[in-house]
Amino acid sequence: MGIGEGGHGGQAPGAGQVAGVEEARDAGQALRPSSEGAARGPVFAISRVRPETWVRVAAVTAVLAFALFAVPVILSLYYVDAMTQVAIYSIVALGLGVLVGRVGLYSLGQAAVLALGAWTAARLLFATSLPFPVVLLAAGAITMVLGTVIGLPALRLSGLYLALITLMLAGAITVVLSTVNFPNGGHGFLGYNGNLIHIPPIRRPSLAGSDAAYYRYAVVVAALMFLLVLWHVRTRPGRAWAAIRQSEPAALAAGINTTRYKLWAWALASFVTGVAGGLLAGSAHFLYSIDFPIQNSITLLAVVLVAGAFSLWGAIVAGLLLQLLPALFQNWGVSSDWITILFGVGVLQVLTTAPRGLADQVPKDLRRLGRLLSGATRRAAPSRTGTT
Amino acid sequence: MPSWQDFQPFLVVGLALGGVYALSGVGMIVLYRATGVLNLAFGAIGAMGALIAWQLINGGINEWLAYVVCVAFSAVLTLVYGVVFGPPLAARDPLVKAAATLGLALILLGAMDLLWTSNGGAVRSLTLATDSSTFTVSQIQINWTQVIALALGVVITVVTGAWLRYTKLGTAMRAVANDRQITATLGVPVRRVEAAAWLGCGVLSGLAGLLLADLVALDATTLTWLVISSLAAAVIARLRSIAVTLVAGIVIGVVESMLVPINSLTNYADMTPFVLAGVALLVVMFRRREITVSRGA
Repeated sequence: MGIGEGGHGGQAPGAGQVAGVEEARDAGQALRPSSEGAARGPVFAISRVRPETWVRVAAVTAVLAFALFAVPVILSLYYVDAMTQVAIYSIVALGLGVLVGRVGLYSLGQAAVLALGAWTAARLLFATSLPFPVVLLAAGAITMVLGTVIGLPALRLSGLYLALITLMLAGAITVVLSTVNFPNGGHGFLGYNGNLIHIPPIRRPSLAGSDAAYYRYAVVVAALMFLLVLWHVRTRPGRAWAAIRQSEPAALAAGINTTRYKLWAWALASFVTGVAGGLLAGSAHFLYSIDFPIQNSITLLAVVLVAGAFSLWGAIVAGLLLQLLPALFQNWGVSSDWITILFGVGVLQVLTTAPRGLADQVPKDLRRLGRLLSGATRRAAPSRTGTT
Repeated sequence: MPSWQDFQPFLVVGLALGGVYALSGVGMIVLYRATGVLNLAFGAIGAMGALIAWQLINGGINEWLAYVVCVAFSAVLTLVYGVVFGPPLAARDPLVKAAATLGLALILLGAMDLLWTSNGGAVRSLTLATDSSTFTVSQIQINWTQVIALALGVVITVVTGAWLRYTKLGTAMRAVANDRQITATLGVPVRRVEAAAWLGCGVLSGLAGLLLADLVALDATTLTWLVISSLAAAVIARLRSIAVTLVAGIVIGVVESMLVPINSLTNYADMTPFVLAGVALLVVMFRRREITVSRGA
């Protein structure tokens, strides 16, 4: 998506005023070092940014419209269910992407956080008759608090130690969940009754009872979460995160409260993951702790690295890899073990040759291919001859 | 509360398990200090070795030969990974290096599930030859595998410590751990030293795989992620001291095992490594002693 860059011809008049703002935002974007942005002249920047922004907006709208209206019609129920999972896991990958790609914090326990969110949402859905969106928000908020409480001491540790402590925490949460079990409509704080014969399913929102409707619901929630993260990335916290990722001492020297912004990223990631957990609870009807092995956290990090942690598109690619690929493989009768192998190879390949992941590498390669094909006949735009 | 009598067999099991945790922890620390790579595929490599040994024994090959093949396979696989992926990632952050070994772990895990499917509930078990000879100490039956596990943990720690201190290669390895660039400038063949560390780590992963397959279960997923429990011992030692790793490994093994007979805690016994490692990290952090070693190695 967003590969073919059509429509960089004439722009509607009146868009000029916005361009300055867009350009400023783009420069503050975390993706490239600020020095690079400053080296380009402002004239180039304005003429360069505007069409790209519109292409981006158009691409997002097209993808969203396609996902909302075309997918449930074209695909069979089997794939619609898979796409629901894609939407949910895109949110999880988005949260992990904020940590890994924006701030440089590697978490090996994100699937455990997802399980926490799912548990909380399931408990609330059984215990209360609150509307579904409220439950989602509450699950997100509770997961955020838990994640922050856990994260506060852990964040003082650096790089590898943080990854290891999240791995240990994930292990601990997995053990606790396998003992406590997911709520199944029982009584008490834990809401689990092992002797229950007729287990009521976890309820869904009233306007999204069917699988297709729930899929649309999940896509809308996912889109909102992407907007939330985009908003963070494009504003003050995003710039602070970029500074922290590039050099923590420099960020500290620039007056950025690094602990606060790291914790902020942690809280944001926990929140969106908690909301994803709530969606997961609604989509699954029944939750079992065996569905949340510690391996999931590790696969999750692997896939986010493969798909590209530095771009928001990477989160969608990660969701597709995590959930659509297994569904396809199952349909084709290929063992899902091949997917595990594929992810492993992908991690090694990405880390050694394409550190920004598929979401960055594939468009780049396609663009290079396009340039090769069109050759010298292509209109030479001076601002485009620079590095991509 | 069970009586001391009930705890005794679990103490034996725990000591054996602790020995393997220590052995694994030492293997990972030595590699981490020498190359900056935290080998998270340690468990997967050992698991694959153990499964190959199981296959060979089932095919009628001498048991001891199969054990040797297991260790050799693990050593060679680790070495090959180190030689192929070590140099291109040498200048990267330790996090990236560790994440790359996760890639290897996933490849091996997928391959193991493909080759040795668990469909139809086929449960495999690897019983080492040393299981059959037992002796009794104050009414507790102890088999030689358990003795070997604990002894290996201790012996490997002591031997590695002495080797790092007194041999030429060991000194070179410590030098590389301190500063790779300067060591290379001084004429130490850095690549060869690193290869030696990979090989040693591989041998230990093979041994750990064999012992854990016997002591815990011969199951690809279990063995692969048991590395996390072993890692706890290394984390408590701050990825630095092998003596602390030995003690931590044994303590984790014993506590984990001793919780099993206590009814209210039996389900949480598996949490022991994580809780102990988490507490250790927090204690270290609040004492604020140089924890920022992420760039070091």
